[in-house]
Amino acid sequence: MPEGTVHEAEVHAVLSARSKPRSNGTIKKKVVGLSAALVIALVLPQVVTNTYWLGLLNFLIIYSILCLSLNLILGFTGLLSLGHAAFYGIGAYTTAILMTRYHVGFLPAMLASAMLALVFSLFLGIPASKVRGDYFTLLTIAFGEIFRLIAQAWIGFTGGAMGIVGIPIPKVFGMPIRTETQFYYLGLILLAITFVCLTIIVQSRIGRALIAIREDELAAKSMGINTPWYIIMAFTIGSFFAAVAGSFLAVYQTTVTPSNFRLEESCLMIIMVIVGGMGNLWAPLAGVLIMTLATEMFRSLAEYRMLIIGGIMMLVLLFRPQGIFGSSAFKD
Amino acid sequence: MLKVESLVAGYGNIKVLHQISIEVGKGELVAVLGANGAGKTTLLKTISGLIKASAGTVRFDNADITRYPAEKIVGAGISHVPEGRNVFARSTVLVNLEMGAFLRQDKAGVKNDIEKYLAMFPILGERHAQLAGTLSGGEQQMLAIARGLMSRPKLLLLDEPSMGLAPFLVNEIMKIIKELHREGISILLIEQNVHKALKVTQRAYVMELGQIRRHGKSMELLESDVIQKSYLGEKQNPKRRA
Ligand SMILES: Nc1ncnc2c1ncn2[C@@H]1O[C@H](COP(=O)(O)OP(=O)(O)OP(=O)(O)O)[C@@H](O)[C@H]1O
Ligand SMILES: [Mg+2]
Repeated sequence: MPEGTVHEAEVHAVLSARSKPRSNGTIKKKVVGLSAALVIALVLPQVVTNTYWLGLLNFLIIYSILCLSLNLILGFTGLLSLGHAAFYGIGAYTTAILMTRYHVGFLPAMLASAMLALVFSLFLGIPASKVRGDYFTLLTIAFGEIFRLIAQAWIGFTGGAMGIVGIPIPKVFGMPIRTETQFYYLGLILLAITFVCLTIIVQSRIGRALIAIREDELAAKSMGINTPWYIIMAFTIGSFFAAVAGSFLAVYQTTVTPSNFRLEESCLMIIMVIVGGMGNLWAPLAGVLIMTLATEMFRSLAEYRMLIIGGIMMLVLLFRPQGIFGSSAFKD
Repeated sequence: MLKVESLVAGYGNIKVLHQISIEVGKGELVAVLGANGAGKTTLLKTISGLIKASAGTVRFDNADITRYPAEKIVGAGISHVPEGRNVFARSTVLVNLEMGAFLRQDKAGVKNDIEKYLAMFPILGERHAQLAGTLSGGEQQMLAIARGLMSRPKLLLLDEPSMGLAPFLVNEIMKIIKELHREGISILLIEQNVHKALKVTQRAYVMELGQIRRHGKSMELLESDVIQKSYLGEKQNPKRRA
């Protein structure tokens, strides 16, 4: 077949180009982009010295960790979880209780918090891997509400509606973290670790499997992908990092209350991920930035805030259904 | 090679398959025919482990695979190309093919196979960088078959590969099935297009309401009165066409 040979040559070229991890140009661009972002992030507190803005940056970091981890569940695997705030809360409460009552150091407390969230997410993930769609979402809502009710009602353990106050100053390798700037750098390190871990996961065959499950679960199964296993894995890894964010919140705010972890928080995270863009690992960060700034700008208009958030989301969905930087929605 | 014995399966409390027994020998090309809702898709899903059997056995290469999870069945050498072109719509043709080789470790072999199937399905070769969801129906079906082949199966389960395709493309698909058969892959083919299916296959089973009603050599079934009457109708009567 004469045409066949032309084809083979062409295909061969494409395949050998692909077999190198990535062409030099894109690698360079990525490295340049990442280093620029890193430099900006590192010098930011030298430029922004106002505590109000620094505080805002710290919340940006917390939401960034939350939305990166939610994106693994929502964007990559296609599971609409409304329980992310609960894992965030499990992280925050565990750290708060361990540090205030049992004088555990910050890093061990954070690790314990994340591990506990992982265990809880396994309990939720195993039944959740058997139900899909609306039922999965309902299950996560129920879990989030149960968590919040326990936090509110079990006064002896969680402090009830008042929450836990007076969480001690965290020490990282002996260094106390007190100022907004110090918290900023601690948060930045946690965000960087989250980003690197999730990047590695997403670019491995695990990421491939998750995308396949999102695209077509039946086909993914018939490719030999153990779908429940990968769904549980995405869910537990995402919850693990949500707890890391919660742990940071606890020491940063020095208090945790049930109202930090309401269903609205989960909704806000989902909106951030959708606005930023799903599927693409870092795209939700754009959503975090826009939505945090928007909520801050309209803080004085407390009643209208949700209206404005909803308005932004609808505009994005109308004009860019795949999110600002997303790649997972269909363009036709 | 594949031996299904007294298989019972269904969804929840609903039994769809009642004591199904079929066999596919090494290198054989076998059809399962039947009306809508007969349980053909359910049979394939049960063989490939997407549904659990409630009774009966599925044996493959002398191993009892009845209770194997789906991924172990793929590993054992059975590839199921599901009904209805389930391609990964937002991934490219190439990525779809790579996903078909999910369980394989031999990178070089995977690369060779991709080249092989892109050459075997030239239309996919031309469109290797295109998103699968933007392919035409026929192209998506070719991709689904090629992707199913990427796991290097010994047995290929094809669920209505010609569904919804123009006659020209149906012939194209049948040609490909014959070619794969010549390469030595055993194939279990489900088809609504009874006439075409009986022409390419060696043996066939006729399913009705979850049971095997008839089976035999495809050529003989093609001649048989019952099949003529109930499945081929007048339009597709081979004698009239010839
Ligand atoms: N997920 C399901 N839950 C409950 N019943 C189902 C399910 N899938 C199929 N059935 C039922 O099982 C029976 C057999 O369906 P199946 O899809 O196996 O038929 P089929 O022979 O493949 O039909 P077709 O030619 O239309 O594809 C039908 O009565 C159908 O309604
Ligand atoms: Mg069917």
